[in-house]
Amino acid sequence: MIFFQKLLSASILAFIFAFNVQAAKPNLTVYTYDSFTSDWGPGPKVKEAFEKQCNCTLELVGLEDGVSLLNRLKLEGKNTKADLVLGIDTNLTAEARATDLFEPHALSMPKSTLPQSWNDDTFLPYDYGYFAFVYNKELLKNPPTSLKDLVKNPDGPTILIQDPRTSTPGLGLLLWVKKVYGDKAEEAWNQLSKRIVTVSKGWSEAYGLFLKGEADMVLSYTTSPAYHIIAEQDKRFAAAKFNEGHYQQIEVAGLLKSGNQKELSRQFLQFMLSKKFQSIIPQTNWMYPAILAKSDLPDGFNNLIDPSPSLLFDDQIISSNRKNWVNEWLEAMAN
Amino acid sequence: MNRQSTSAYWVLALLSLAVLIPMASLLAVGRLPGFESSDLQFWHSSYIRRVLFFSFWQAFLSTIISLGLALLVARSIAFRGNFLLRNLLLKLFGLPIVVPSIVAVMGVVSVYGAEGWIPLGRSLYGLNGILIAHVFFNLPLAVRLLLPVWQSLPDHYWQLADQLRFTPWQRWVHIEWPAIRESLPGVALLVFMLCLTSFAVVLTLGGGPKSSTLEVAIYQSLRFDFDPTQAVILALLQLSLCLVVAFLGLSLQKLPEVEINISATSYARHTKNLLLHNTVILLAAIFVALPLLAMIIDAIRGPVIEVLGNSKLWLASAYTLMIGLSAAFCSVLAGWLLLRSSSELANRGKVNRAKWIELAGSVVYVLPPLVLGTGYFVLLAPHVDVFDWVFPIVILINSMMGLPFVIKVLSPAMRKNQMRYQNLCCSLALRGWHKFRWVDWPLLRRPMGLAAALVAAMAMGDLGVIALFGSVDTTTLPLMLYQQLGAYRIPQAAVSAVFLLLMCLIVFWLLERGLGGKYHVQD
Repeated sequence: MIFFQKLLSASILAFIFAFNVQAAKPNLTVYTYDSFTSDWGPGPKVKEAFEKQCNCTLELVGLEDGVSLLNRLKLEGKNTKADLVLGIDTNLTAEARATDLFEPHALSMPKSTLPQSWNDDTFLPYDYGYFAFVYNKELLKNPPTSLKDLVKNPDGPTILIQDPRTSTPGLGLLLWVKKVYGDKAEEAWNQLSKRIVTVSKGWSEAYGLFLKGEADMVLSYTTSPAYHIIAEQDKRFAAAKFNEGHYQQIEVAGLLKSGNQKELSRQFLQFMLSKKFQSIIPQTNWMYPAILAKSDLPDGFNNLIDPSPSLLFDDQIISSNRKNWVNEWLEAMAN
Repeated sequence: MNRQSTSAYWVLALLSLAVLIPMASLLAVGRLPGFESSDLQFWHSSYIRRVLFFSFWQAFLSTIISLGLALLVARSIAFRGNFLLRNLLLKLFGLPIVVPSIVAVMGVVSVYGAEGWIPLGRSLYGLNGILIAHVFFNLPLAVRLLLPVWQSLPDHYWQLADQLRFTPWQRWVHIEWPAIRESLPGVALLVFMLCLTSFAVVLTLGGGPKSSTLEVAIYQSLRFDFDPTQAVILALLQLSLCLVVAFLGLSLQKLPEVEINISATSYARHTKNLLLHNTVILLAAIFVALPLLAMIIDAIRGPVIEVLGNSKLWLASAYTLMIGLSAAFCSVLAGWLLLRSSSELANRGKVNRAKWIELAGSVVYVLPPLVLGTGYFVLLAPHVDVFDWVFPIVILINSMMGLPFVIKVLSPAMRKNQMRYQNLCCSLALRGWHKFRWVDWPLLRRPMGLAAALVAAMAMGDLGVIALFGSVDTTTLPLMLYQQLGAYRIPQAAVSAVFLLLMCLIVFWLLERGLGGKYHVQD
């Protein structure tokens, strides 16, 4: 009983404090995905660092993923609580733009490490990565050296992938194959399908199954081995370099027209492009920070494969073809 | 004359509102400009027919296999009487329902995967994997639901059978089957619904998009395509499929001609095939325990201290517990109110109406929480701060999802009570609280404990609509688990998973023992 009384008084106190703080400081609400806000993501550190400099409260709202983020905006429209959105990727920017809810950031983009120049006046990138097949070096001695090599060799390695209907990496592989094979993508999927052990709902299932030894390779990111090297001192894992290049994913943030903290929002975007924010990204999001110089990356990031040339469709092309391409994939995989 | 109970109609009315309003809001959103309307091509594609067929087929097979095996196992447990670890075994059988699907997939793969203890290799992926996982989830549940059937058989049946020198087959045909026939369609429907709505398990162990269920199509249309109209129509299609199966199933149901058992039963002395029963029980225990054991081994190897030392884990546990217990309370209350009328109707000979009431209360299970949750969001977002409403909505949805469990567990007991004591209560003018306290409670507390435990476990393991609504700093254990997995923290996730299991085991024990009482009234 005493415990409950304590709990009650603690929560009343917390409530009063929260209320006071809210009354005194402006509140900046950012919608993002929950692996950003989780304990292991960049969220807690970003919040702490930004609040130190802004005299405000940063409220990070974690939604399931980038797709849910966009859907949430579509549902809320102009009534959204969010001032900013952080975590939409280049597969979704065209659709996000089409909602007409964003306003130009009106900031200049600093020199980035992105392989392409960035001219988007609505969205600003904060990190990026490349899809790749990850394998265990001790178990797979001769990994394929190109996507075509992986596809056409009937005795090639078995793989785990994600479903493009439910997962971002899954969609990434679909686009990768499309980029490399063009009209022959369906045929390629047909050939590859025999060595696909399974197609999982999300990245976590596939990666978990890979670590349990269910297949030789798993679709993940070129930066995945860095996690094992840095956090687990485990050097067994590597990403296979494919000479056609690797499909790229750029994660961006955007400013909402309906927000009433425009100045603070722009301050946050600027903070996002600063060294402080950027140096949090590598070891929490396990992606390449968009601005941070290569020499400022942690050690584990320097021995990763060079993914160039980077492959990326124009976001308009993705938005108008995605449905058809997914259907094509379904046909190829179901036969 | 006692007043007729109308509580079921109130419950059903509330339930329909709770389901129809969010779906209507979603349909309304789908008609706004800027949303892609569902294209007719989709409904004519071979894809949707394939998905419909596969959804049915995998659920049908999973149900048949789970129930077939569950009958064998429940029979053996009943005939074996009391044995060492019997209670522990039954608690163990309450666990799979709590395991989040992603953890179950990992557990199944640890046992049957390429590097597992019983490697099935690539053949695991496909129908095999789906069936193994679904039997793992549903066999124990079905055993728990079917076991009371044997316990309700009167002792003198067996004495008679002995005198008539019945063969085991004759016993089965003349004594057991008639009693089982009453329960089986309901349990089958419940298992069928669970398998029909299974998603991550089917997709991941199914080996590819050939194994897509309606639930996948619903998820896809509400997320990647963001087509609310199509999502609602697909959800209704799923409901219709379930209703068709329910019609067929319930028409096979026969209400009991069996007499109500009053004397205590001890089966052990009727048992001749001890060895057979022991083997069946042992095999079932091993089948259920192996994936759980794999999870425990992964957890022990993981960073136990680090995970348990995280204060967020404890906060998340408190939220999870709150959701589980609240959902259990609401669900048992609603189920009890619903069954009060339906058992009365059944007692007055209106068996069919009673059946339909119970069916209506159960089938909402197949409406995907994603659809309902999004509907509630659309409904509430313009008027209130949605974050304040996350927990009430999670609890509401989980209570609705728990209702079929409550109905299944409580219904036989309440009918029996009604038959046995209704007239007595009428003549004593025993009503309201006093009737509940002195007549209903002593006989219902055991099934109520079980029902509450099942709903709590299910709600606690549910990722729920929390992920959908978005969270500022409220996390539940399953959500935390997914976050760990998403951040490469797979060993940490293994520890959290087992922590969740242990918590459910304790809740199960507390609810069954606390509500059910230590020394139960024999029924």
